[in-house]
Parts: sequence; structure tokens; C-alpha cells
Amino acid sequence: MKTYDDPELQAIAVKLTSDDPGIRRVAVMDLVDSGEPEAVELVIHALNDPDTNVRQEAAKVVDEFEAADMADALIAALGDNDEVVRNSAAHALADLKDPAAGEPLLKALDNSTDAFVVSGILRALKPLRLAGAQSPALKCLSDGDPRVRREAVAVLGWLKQTENLPALVETAQRDEDPEVRRAATGALVYASPQQVGQALIGLLQDGHWQVRCEAANSIGKLNHQAAVQPLMDATKDQLWQVREKAVDALGKLGSTDSIPVLGECSKDAMSNLRKAAIGALGAIAHSDCRPFVEIAMDDPDPDVRKLARWAMSKLDAAA
Amino acid sequence: MKINDIPVIETDILVIGGGTAGPMAAVTAKEQNPDLNVMLLEKANVKRSGAISMGMDGLNNAVVPGHATPEQYVKEITIANDGVVHQPALMAYATRSFPMIEKLDSWGVHFQKDETGDYDMKKVHHLGTYVLPMPEGHNVKKILYRRLRRNRVQIENRFTATRLLKDPDGNIAGMIGVNTRTAEPIIIRAKAVIMATGAAGRLGLPTSGYLFGTYENPANNGDGHAMAYHVGADLANLECFQVNPLLKDYNGPACAYVTGPLGGFTSNAFGERFIECDYWSGQMMLEFFKELESGTGPVFLKLDHLAEETIEEIETVLHTNERPSRGRFHEGRDVNYRQRMVEMHISEVGFCSGHSASGVWTDETGATTVPGLYCAGDMASVAHNYMLGAFVYGQICGESAVEFAKDRGEPKLDEDFIKQELERIQAPMKVADGIPPEQMEYKVRRLVNDYLQPPKVTKKMEIGLERILAVRADVGQLCARDPHELLRAMEVQSIIDCAEMAARASLYRTESRWGLYHYRVDYPEQNDAEWFYHSRLFKDENGQMASGKRPIADYLVSLGEEKDAYRKMRVQKAANG
Amino acid sequence: MPIANHHSSVPVIVDEDKCIADKGCTVCIDVCPLDVLWINEATGKAHMKYDECWYCMPCEADCPTDAVTVNIPYLLR
Repeated sequence: MKTYDDPELQAIAVKLTSDDPGIRRVAVMDLVDSGEPEAVELVIHALNDPDTNVRQEAAKVVDEFEAADMADALIAALGDNDEVVRNSAAHALADLKDPAAGEPLLKALDNSTDAFVVSGILRALKPLRLAGAQSPALKCLSDGDPRVRREAVAVLGWLKQTENLPALVETAQRDEDPEVRRAATGALVYASPQQVGQALIGLLQDGHWQVRCEAANSIGKLNHQAAVQPLMDATKDQLWQVREKAVDALGKLGSTDSIPVLGECSKDAMSNLRKAAIGALGAIAHSDCRPFVEIAMDDPDPDVRKLARWAMSKLDAAA
Repeated sequence: MKINDIPVIETDILVIGGGTAGPMAAVTAKEQNPDLNVMLLEKANVKRSGAISMGMDGLNNAVVPGHATPEQYVKEITIANDGVVHQPALMAYATRSFPMIEKLDSWGVHFQKDETGDYDMKKVHHLGTYVLPMPEGHNVKKILYRRLRRNRVQIENRFTATRLLKDPDGNIAGMIGVNTRTAEPIIIRAKAVIMATGAAGRLGLPTSGYLFGTYENPANNGDGHAMAYHVGADLANLECFQVNPLLKDYNGPACAYVTGPLGGFTSNAFGERFIECDYWSGQMMLEFFKELESGTGPVFLKLDHLAEETIEEIETVLHTNERPSRGRFHEGRDVNYRQRMVEMHISEVGFCSGHSASGVWTDETGATTVPGLYCAGDMASVAHNYMLGAFVYGQICGESAVEFAKDRGEPKLDEDFIKQELERIQAPMKVADGIPPEQMEYKVRRLVNDYLQPPKVTKKMEIGLERILAVRADVGQLCARDPHELLRAMEVQSIIDCAEMAARASLYRTESRWGLYHYRVDYPEQNDAEWFYHSRLFKDENGQMASGKRPIADYLVSLGEEKDAYRKMRVQKAANG
Repeated sequence: MPIANHHSSVPVIVDEDKCIADKGCTVCIDVCPLDVLWINEATGKAHMKYDECWYCMPCEADCPTDAVTVNIPYLLR
């Protein structure tokens, strides 16, 4: 066995050879307090311990160390038969953010089939924004497991490459999992309105309310002017949460055509919606907004009144 | 060198307090010059100490390009603090805020991002966008600890500092303290000292009556405020108390910044919003307080109108970050966010610049009025700093301290003072038949509640001061049976110092300002002609607690029309007023 | 003045069957910001010695064997 110059690390190394897994486990916990770079070797060693509890403990402390020093060991740990070990390894990998880990991650992705492992690797690849991640991520969009598809969407979203838009649109429209559709809808904001506008308008009719919210949000971010009418329709959605996001987006688009429906929303029973509506009317700041804002100056809800005063100052400034 | 047989430990930079600002200060000093000896002293254990021991669920004051400008931020914080701010210090924060977010991000701290990797900023009110959620913010302490080890900062856990040391020229020279488990004293000589000891959170008594059920981590009991006072540093605006909204009986934050972007809000008993004020400020707290006392009170956190998916998201964030025992508290009372509103209340009073503006006077370089002594985080006087401000000022102090220590020789120590202090530290364990620290603490904090809690009344505060001084006279009777009780005995002496400071500072400023924080019933108006100043509290040449005024530095950003807009907001009636 | 001892129901419970303090583990004791957990000399296991709890949970969250439970102190419950 290797010996270490640092006496504390050496003492831990000795404990790690104990026959008692309880003592080995405590030794792993002690590694966290070592400032020695060589402590990482012992963590990697413990990740391969025969005892599950020791491996779990090692996996729990991996994020106390610089993950770049143990990328390979962490990727291997993604395939551990214990879920706690796999989870911790996946989280530590995601924190890596070290371009040097890119190659081993891509290689591991190529060799992995387990959904948990694949999604863990994708999550780690995401912040690295590697061009080499594009093609495997596109492939993963048709994986059978929604966790994999969801992470693949994120990888592609962070890459912001125009050529991936058709695939993301397809996912946003057709994926059977609402969270995957929602993520893909959110990822479309790096496009131009010409590229994804029509798709986003369609997504305002998605079966799941959170996808509809995300679509309205993305339309607002893209300032997709052709979506005014569909957004106006969305202000009649059965859920106030969707109506609120549609109203926000209409404020961003700034079309005077939307003033009457925004005015309707400014009288709604749900105060959160009234707030959003007055905010949007203030953003548009056209004289036709004034009657609604004037009524809102006496709204029973102080947040609405606050926004009404702000909207009134915008109207006065525009006049 | 030894004093009373105790070896003097030598270091270049000493950081006292290992919570948020302290580790950042220590790491920064090492980054500036890896050859320096940097020691980080912590009363608990750096791994899980300070206000963010279990992480943080979001930034309230992120100045991110494209969403807010430093000028906007400085303006808003100035208005929220009724003008009494040191704008250069706010500006230093505001301009460094985003680079700090990027630094923390590169270290592995999780900020919420959208599906393309951009920061997912949330607009909580219409005046600016400063909220950046951190739904997975529970790993902040781990990341700091990793950085400390990587940079080879020397960590000393379980030591509490009791007094700072000065050299004959009045420059900082180090500190004296005691081990909380062995009662062994420690003497440290340092060329520069950074204090980051957090809020004075054990000043008022929580409504539950449980001494440690405070809003702040109770390890943050105002040691730093007391030490700064005794070493001769100025404290500023201490009458601007911290009072925060929280869940009734459970000292968890109200989390408007978590629930707000998702549609939740603070309501009265009828489920209606009532807060007119758009800033986190004493004004907002005054509205909260009035609603609590009114016929439409008390106050609630309303989430029962939200969708199931949204409530699950809120529960995940609130029950895993910052104060995770919250879920257990609700279970015990059979409270489910889906079915009923959650009763809220206001916290006990304290000193905390993270949420208000009081503390040890610090300028834009983190410097106090004692050369070589720097302060960061909740104890320093930079207003509304929150967690990100603690990081930024930790960094600023780290840089400033390295610069100060650069050409300095070994500071000379005042041995007589050290011997006196050793006697003070050792005294409680020599008393067998006296007053336990817990009883003395309960008494002084109960007096703070009875006499100093706003609304403040002059005569009551005078009585309170007299009674607090009477408790001080009992300090000689403090007894401690073991080192742990000795820790509490030293802490209660800091608490008494803070209580006296709270009383004197509040009596000094004969006007009302900062909404509820300094609401004096017999001086109900803000009086800019006489009181547009920082108040000073300091030890005068006779060793007496004295007060004074510090002029407000010229504004870097003028307030313009928004100031009037804010004034107009204040006179509006409440919903059911 | 003479001193009396008074009883207090403490919020932190340690399951002695699960606790591995006897193997050298001091995680809960290390992470407590208020230093209220100590080794019980009689059993070699961790216990709450002082009723000064902030129910902040690191002791429970960081315990390697899930031996620690943090309850809300009775006065707040």
C-alpha cells in the first residue's frame, strides 16, 4: 500500500484498510477534512470498496473534491449497482464544468445504455457546450426514457445551434412527456421568430398547462409579433396561470390590438391576473389603456394599485 | 512568544467567522498572495456554520446586466433606506455583484438557468429585476469548504473570539479568544483582521420564548459588534433594527422571493394583499405590523390558489434549502399549503445589515475606523447586503487586508490588556455559586422585548437602559460549570453590550426613520433637517459609550423623480384601511 | 445563590442502534453550529447534551447512518 507524507492522510489510509467496514466508512468521512490533493486517490479507492455503505459514503463526499481529478472514477460510479452511489456521481459530474472532462464524458456516453447513466452524463456535458455533444444529444431525443430526452433537450438548448431547431420543435410538439415538451419549448428562445414562431403558436394549445405557459413565455422573449391574436386567444385559457403568462407576453409585444382583451383581464377576479394585465397595459402605454388603468387605481389589491400608478406614469410620459 | 504561558500564534491575515463572507475573504487573501498565512477562526465548524448552513434558495439583490444596472440598484437601496446610506459602498457592491455570481457559478454553485443556459432572472416587482432563484442552492457551504482546503487556508474550528487587540499606534494587532470545548484561551497576532461574525441575532426574544428559536442562526449573537465597540471602532445606525416577516412561531423566513415569482403572496385574514410598499424596507415592515394589529389581521402566506405542480415546486425549494425543518413544523400543526394559509408574524429585533442597515461602520473598501480591521457580511454597515453582498464584501475585505498587511512588520502586543482579558475569560468558571448564563440571557433579552422593541417610546427605553445596566452589574456573578457554559457566558456579555448599544442608539436619534425599524411614537416624523446623518456609536476617550453624527457622503446616483414616487406610495391607504 | 437542575425535553433524538460514534464518527457533533451534541460517555453514542437547538438539520442530513432525527422544540410545536 502507498504511504503518504501527511500524517493525517496516512492515518486515514491505514483506517481504509480495516476489516471493519464501519471504520472504513468513518475514514472516508475524514477524507473531507484533508487539504492534501492526494486525498482524491483515496476517495477513488473507496468508490471501489466492496462494501455498499463505504461506496455510498465515498459517493456522498465526491462533491467535496475537485471533480476533474476523478472524472473517470465518477463515470464508472454511474454504473454502480447502488442508486445512492449513482446519484451522487451524477451530481458531482454535473458540477464538473471542466472542459478536460469532455472527452471522457463523450466516450462514456457512447458506451452507455442505462438511462440513469446516460442522463447523468448528458447533465454533465450540458454546461461544457461541446460541439461533439450535438450528435449524441440529437440521437438521445428519441430515447425511450423521458429523463434522457429531457437532458438531451438541455444539452441542445445550451448549444444554441440553428441546425438543431427542427429536432427541438419536433420534440416540443410530439414528445409524449409534458416536462420534455416544456423544456423543449423553453429551449426555442435562442431561435428567430421566423424559425420557431409558428410552432410556439401551436404550443399555446398544448394539453398541459405548463407547456402552454412556457410557450407564451418564449413568444414574449422572442417578441414574435405574429402571435398577437393567438396570445389574445390564450387570455381565455381555462387556467389563470396560462392567462397570466399570455398577458405578460402581450405586454412585451406591445400591440395596441390587444388593449381590449387586456382590459378584460384587468377586471378579472384573480388578482394575479389583474396585476399582469395592468403591467401589460402600462408597457403598451397607449391612450386607450388609460380607462382601464384609471379603474385599477382603486383596485382592492395594493399590488394592482402600485402597478396602476406606475402604468399611469408611463401613460403620462407617453402623452 | 508566550503570555501567561500561552503561546502566541502568528498569522498574516486573520479572519474571524467562517460562515459566508469569512471563507470568501480567506480564499481571496490566498488568491491574492498564496505565500501569506491566512487563518480562519470559527466558533462552530466551517462546514456548516453561519446564516447559510443549509444553503440558500435565491439571490434577492443580483445586479445582472440586461436586467438591472448598478445605478438603478444604488438608487433603489437608497430610497428603501430613507436616504441614509453610504452610496460608494452600495456602488462597490453593485458593480461587483455580477462578476461574483459568475465566480460562484464557476465554482459549482447552482443558480437557476433557462433552457439555453442563461440566468433565469425573476421580476418580483416592476421597479427592477434582482431575483435569481437557487432551487438547488444547498451546496454553497460545501463549495466554500472545498475552496478553503484547495487554497490551504488554516482553519481553526470551535474557537470564539472575545476581544480584538491593538498596537500602541492604534492599528489592529490580533485577537484573544477561547476554545469552546476545552476553555483553553488562544492569542493570535495578525497584521490585518477581517471580522465576519454575522448578525446580532440573540438580541430580542422570539415569541415562542425559546432562546435559540431566533430568526438568525443563534451562533450569531453579536460578538463582532461587541468586539468592534471595545477595540474602538465606530458602529453605525444601530437604531435601524432588523425586524423581519416570518412564519408564526417557526423562525423561517417568509419567502416572498421564493413564492412571489410563482404567484404566492402575503395576505391578511381575508386572503387579500395589503402591502403597499414595493421595497423590502422598514416601511414594508410597518405596514406588516399594522396589519397584524388590525381587525383584518393577522397576516398569512397565501399559496392555496396555486396549482398542484407549483405547490410541489415551492415545497421542494422551501423544505430542502435554508430552513429545511419547515416541512416538519407544518406537519406537526397539520398545515398544508394546498388547503390553508400559513400564519405569519414578525421576528424579534436584531442588528443585521443583510436585511436592514446597521452594523460596524465600513466603507467601500471594507475598512472600519480602526486601521487594519475590516468587516463584511451581516455585521458590517453596508445596507441590504444579503448573501451576495457578504460574498462581495468578503472579497473586498480580503483584497484590502492583503494590501494593508503587505509592508507591515510584526505588530506589538499590549500584554497588560491581554492579561486582563484572560482574567475576564477565566472568571465564570471560577464562580461556583452564581447565575447561569441562560438565566442572565433570558433576562436581558426579555428586557429588550419589553422596552426596546418598536414602536419605541422614550420613557420606556430609558427604563430599559437602566434595567439592562443593572443586569450588566451582575456579570461578576456569571458562573459556568463547563467550557460550553463558558461559551454562553462570554456570549451573554456580548448580548448585554448589544442591548445597551441598541438602547442608546435608539434614544439618540430623536426622529422616526426606516419605518418600523426606528418608529418612535413620541417623535413620529422623519426629520431630515436634523437627522439626515449616519448615527455613530463608539467608545469615547473615557471608555464611555458615546453617540455622534457622521455626514452622509455625496450621492453618486441622485434620486430624481423616483424618490417622490416612493413618497406617494407611502400615503396610499391599505386595502381595508 | 444555590443552583437547581431542571428537566427539558430535547428536540434531537439519536437512534443508538444506528449511531456509529463508537467507530470514530463525529459528523453530527462536528456540524452542529451550537455545539449541543456530545458523546455520551456511558454508551459511546452521540446525544443532545444541551437544549439549545436551532433545528437547522445538518446533524440529521449529514449523519451517514440516518441515526439522527431533529424534532421541532416543544415550545414551538
